[in-house]
Amino acid sequence: MDQPNTKYPPGDLAIWFIVIAELLVFGIFFVVYAFARLKHVELFNQYQLTLDRDYAVVNTIALLTASYFVVRAIHAIRASSPESCVRWMVLACLMALVFLLVKSVEFYQHGSAGISLSTNLFYMFYLSLTFFHFMHVLLGLVILVILTIVARRGGYSASNHRGMETGASYWHMVDLIWLILFPLIYVMR
Amino acid sequence: MHPTNENRAYHWVYLALISFTLLTWIIAESGTGGINISLFVLTLALIKGLLLADYFMELKSVTSAWRWVAVIWLVLVTGLIALAFSLGA
Repeated sequence: MDQPNTKYPPGDLAIWFIVIAELLVFGIFFVVYAFARLKHVELFNQYQLTLDRDYAVVNTIALLTASYFVVRAIHAIRASSPESCVRWMVLACLMALVFLLVKSVEFYQHGSAGISLSTNLFYMFYLSLTFFHFMHVLLGLVILVILTIVARRGGYSASNHRGMETGASYWHMVDLIWLILFPLIYVMR
Repeated sequence: MHPTNENRAYHWVYLALISFTLLTWIIAESGTGGINISLFVLTLALIKGLLLADYFMELKSVTSAWRWVAVIWLVLVTGLIALAFSLGA
């Protein structure tokens, strides 16, 4: 079943204040990147080409798929199907793990190549933005795992699943941020 | 929208999100750059964000000012990024 029109967004209202705060922080970071690039267009274009866009696309698909699975889980619990809900949540957790593994490989390769925050301005932005986002995905995965355990223990039902909606809202925010980060850092030049 | 259609909507939204992502990847791999390509890719990202906010975050069904949280953020951030890239073109 779907949400009828409602005054407030799904989940606990407190999570939406956190969502706003996180969006503001990342939003400022994105805009500062774009304007800092103005004075170093050549440098940003040159070093952007050293990034692996295949990894970035796999990670975008992993995050979007995780979000889709979370939506399926929410719909399942609303339809009084807790077993199905748990299955979708487990799949969502696996997709989040894919993101973290791929991104870890990417960070490892940068580290092996001697790339660090002090290499140049582009890498300073790239590494800080993606690592900051990585930590949010990690927290998102912890939240998804907790929601899955609670759902498996029968903690959610069609009439009581606000906790699941709260966690889902956080996860979708992490996904939303990546949707801007991906083209900005990896593609736009 | 009728619940049955709405149920179907998020499947289509997921397919659209994946399609737009693959399109962005094809553009990136083609090696074509420039301001027009960058603005096109940014527009795809804006549409993806709006779809995610409306259908996955379920903000489409919210009647209060909360409905516009993600929309305002997306339009403001992508607008300023577009401005910065246009100035640097």
